[in-house]
Amino acid sequence: MLVITRKPEQSIVIGGEVEVFVLGITKDGVRLGIKAPRSVQVHRREVFEAIAAENLAAMKTKVPVQDAAALLRTSQVRKPDGR
Amino acid sequence: MTPDPVTTPDTTPIPEDGILLSFPKGLLGFEKLKTYRLLEPRDGYPLKFLQSVDAEEVSFTCIDPVVVKRDYEVPLGQEEAQALGLESQADALVLTLVVIPEDPKRMTTNLAGPLVVNVKTRVGFQIVLNTDTYPVRFPIFPQT
Repeated sequence: MLVITRKPEQSIVIGGEVEVFVLGITKDGVRLGIKAPRSVQVHRREVFEAIAAENLAAMKTKVPVQDAAALLRTSQVRKPDGR
Repeated sequence: MTPDPVTTPDTTPIPEDGILLSFPKGLLGFEKLKTYRLLEPRDGYPLKFLQSVDAEEVSFTCIDPVVVKRDYEVPLGQEEAQALGLESQADALVLTLVVIPEDPKRMTTNLAGPLVVNVKTRVGFQIVLNTDTYPVRFPIFPQT
């Protein structure tokens, strides 16, 4: 891992088109600004972890899927093709 | 029926042996599993299973999110749209994963990590959206 010391208002450039700015440092954390083209996705790591955790949870069905499906069919939720 | 511009309601029934789909990057946390069969369990409509072909114990419950949230849209980034090679929005099949707890009235679906599949190429990706706007645990039934 590359380790660089940066001061507030300084930045680093990644791959020529992504720039990460240090906006400020407080006791709670470092505030970063990220300038990137729209095609580059920027997310906090926690987002990936939360989605991975939900993926895992979607594998474990606690009740028979038919019961859950019946509940969905009889409920107010929209039925796109009237089945 | 005109398809919704972003999520296509699943009007075409799924054949009994399912539809083979390829996820070149896998799903988050399941990066190594790249081939799945989309199945509709018996009496399971509107729920579906995304069954891994390589690991039979891996099967995700999922749903067409339009069933639970009429105005749900997936904003695709340039890179994702290119990887999917979608020529038309009508070729996109969108699924979200469903978590069914002991009390099924508390079922949730993950609107932050939809699966978007190009139905022509049968190739899909799990898209990562901003969790401030797209809840990870969206309640399917109104909670009291």
